[in-house]
Amino acid sequence: MGAVSRKPVKPLQVNPIRLSQPLGATLAFLGVDRCMPLMHGAQGCTSFAKVYFTRHFCEPIAIQTTAVTDITAVLDGGDHNIVAAVRNVTEKVAPALIGLYTTGLTETKGDDIRGVASQVEYPLVWVNTPDFEGGLESGWALAARMLIEQLTAPTQAVDDNKVVLLPHVSLQPIEVEKLKDFIAAYGFEVLALPDLSTSLDGHLGEKQSTLSSGGISVEEIRALADAGLVISVGASMLPCARALQAKNPAIRHHHFPHLLGLAATDALAALLLAATGRERPVADIVRWRQRLQDALLDCHFALGQTRILVAGEPDFLAGACTLLTEAGAKVEIAIATVDSPQLDGLPAGRVLVGDLEDAEDLRDGFDLIVGNGHVEALAHRHHKGVVPRGFPDWETLGNQLKNDVLYEGGAYFLFEVANAAEQMRREPGHP
Amino acid sequence: MKPKIRELLNESACTHSPAKKAACNAPTPGATTGGCAFEGAQISLFPYADAAHLVHGPLTCLGASWETRATRTSWRGRDLTQMGFTTAITNNDVVFGGEEKLAKAIDYVVARYAPQAVFVYATCVTAMIGDDLDAICRRAEFAHGLPVVPVHAPGFVGSKNLGSRLAGEAVLRHLIGTLEPTETTPFDINLIGEYNVTGDMWQYTPLLEELGIRVLSTLSGDGRVAQIRTAHRARLNVLVCAKSLVSLTRKLEERYGIPSISVSFYGKRDTSFGLLAIAEALGDAALIERTRALVAREEAALEARLAPYREFFRGKKAVLNTGGNKSWSIAAALQDLGLEVVATAVGKSTADDRAKAREYLGPNGVLMTRPGQEQAKIIDETGAHLLLAGGRSLYTALKKGIAFADVNQEKKKSYGGYQGLLNLAEDLKNALETPVFRNAARRAPWEP
Repeated sequence: MGAVSRKPVKPLQVNPIRLSQPLGATLAFLGVDRCMPLMHGAQGCTSFAKVYFTRHFCEPIAIQTTAVTDITAVLDGGDHNIVAAVRNVTEKVAPALIGLYTTGLTETKGDDIRGVASQVEYPLVWVNTPDFEGGLESGWALAARMLIEQLTAPTQAVDDNKVVLLPHVSLQPIEVEKLKDFIAAYGFEVLALPDLSTSLDGHLGEKQSTLSSGGISVEEIRALADAGLVISVGASMLPCARALQAKNPAIRHHHFPHLLGLAATDALAALLLAATGRERPVADIVRWRQRLQDALLDCHFALGQTRILVAGEPDFLAGACTLLTEAGAKVEIAIATVDSPQLDGLPAGRVLVGDLEDAEDLRDGFDLIVGNGHVEALAHRHHKGVVPRGFPDWETLGNQLKNDVLYEGGAYFLFEVANAAEQMRREPGHP
Repeated sequence: MKPKIRELLNESACTHSPAKKAACNAPTPGATTGGCAFEGAQISLFPYADAAHLVHGPLTCLGASWETRATRTSWRGRDLTQMGFTTAITNNDVVFGGEEKLAKAIDYVVARYAPQAVFVYATCVTAMIGDDLDAICRRAEFAHGLPVVPVHAPGFVGSKNLGSRLAGEAVLRHLIGTLEPTETTPFDINLIGEYNVTGDMWQYTPLLEELGIRVLSTLSGDGRVAQIRTAHRARLNVLVCAKSLVSLTRKLEERYGIPSISVSFYGKRDTSFGLLAIAEALGDAALIERTRALVAREEAALEARLAPYREFFRGKKAVLNTGGNKSWSIAAALQDLGLEVVATAVGKSTADDRAKAREYLGPNGVLMTRPGQEQAKIIDETGAHLLLAGGRSLYTALKKGIAFADVNQEKKKSYGGYQGLLNLAEDLKNALETPVFRNAARRAPWEP
């Protein structure tokens, strides 16, 4: 583990990878069934978010705006715009929930959205997500926490068969499904919050809804607190687990920094075996573990010679760097979007909070880059291998089905990175 | 130095104005789509690839939008259009002001990337906290000896359209007229509102060059800062498919006596109209003659290559559900291919756009004001074969078992000029031929 540089030394960001809290909150609300995310800001905040996720998922994205203008920014404390927006949204469709969240603009003018929310007679969850603080992870986690705090009913009852999964934002829809299935394979009923696996998994439905279609239902969120076990994945989700435990102190909690690679998946399997008293998991899981073992061995030669830079959200970095290191790859540099406790234990030669200009400056130190779609231009310019992961990726199709988690996803991920490394070495222009 | 927003909102040359008393862009909370003024300014100015574009705001504004536009450049230096620069202001900056950070950021960008100019964009938050962009830019301009242009188009002042106008205003105030061209010709034009997305502009600029018409400057496709600074010496402003910049062309006429025309280069007819309109506006008899000959030659060459497509499209009917000037410009291009356009959407079009749509579609064409509700019925009634619309309408096409083309999708190749029509023809032929709509709509064995 190398040095961690947390403080930016530049007065700006050049080719940024950090994303904003409202984007994270948008995604969290899209993981709730028949929800309308309502961003409290100027129309552009919402329009950018809509286009951004539409292009990443190749799906229409449900979202609306309170459309704050320069005039209402000065004259209105949010009462007018929010109340009018809720009225106009609910005139046309009947969402099960409205997810109201702020932006830098409305935080700067200091709107009391909690107060305004109390005037709205419609199921609504509010959350403060200024975009001059935090990032994608914290926006997602704050919205998830508020869903629990404002909706989930306190209880003392415990259903030992029920598990709540709290996935961090970088887990793509199919990964959430794989985690749910893995846990369910031990006989549990599993609910994920938020749950993108049934909303943004890219399925052809009956018709196009103007609301999110799929995800955890509002009723399920209300009744979440009788779960026997809550599993949080990613440091950003720890406060959500605590919020759920506050609704029912009898809930047991188990935290995983990530669920990529052999060791982390073993830890989850061990937990579930202990919880159920079973001796072995189902045959499928045993088989995938053997395949991952084989993948580690098959890939170690290609990866062992490859110096890698990984860029992305801290909870993603924790998993990706660990898995790559398990296979003997040299993770020389990790660039995080924001600061996080995850950065301390990261298995990488050098860790910094930064941008893609930093990556470009460090180009002599790596051969292959794992990062969002913005890294592609950089990789081409300097003849680096590239494996696209993270938000946004506008160039690659099928982002929603990219699976890196557990034994199965780990095997696929290692093969993809090893193949990209070998292909890079075959390209003309490579030394 | 801040432009008067009220004045820009009440643009007398805007075709919305006579019909509506309120400004064109008062968004309704909870029922608004479309981008903000900042995005409009970004669209209008980012194509200057030789200039750095520094966004003074929280990370959202640029973080979610850099590297999104496929606008192409022949600039040989680093393509700064595809880079993102932002002060990414934090809580601390909101409380104590972001001016010092901005000044340092400008210095950083100039030192590291040696741009020909720096555009500095205000955003909602930095407009609210009152950072003095004008003063900072003035000081930086003096210190670095290159244009540093403040762009006052924070998102909350209005729509993309207004943002484009504000961007035009910034260019007018800070760049145009600040440099003299090394030479002028009687056939110098400015291309205004052409952003060279997917290289659209390069479909017709070689033809202009062949005619002896010189593009003195552009705003801003494949543009250069040094050229837009000389734009006041042009003989004609050519507004390409862009209503938002009428304010700029009107002011250029008032201030420098440069007349302007508005053209489109989509489809065969409009491309020919456009070329002829430019020649006629420049008013040289020999040029007009040359243009007629060139148009005839290009049309004949295109016709020959279109013939097989026309055969393919014969008897095929299309329903078009898009907005603004696309309601007629795409309709015209479809007709050029031999498709019958039975309906087009005019819900968001100006009165002028509606009139044009009617002209192109003829008396029997349907002008849909609520296309979402109307299009399914119209497909049934007319037996349409192809629906061109945004992604949400895909389900309508699947249900009706007809072909679908996403008109809002980020296009990968140019549909502009004569050559672009062939690209469009090929894409639509594929849409009509592909078995995918039939296959994807197949019933599962367990469905009734």
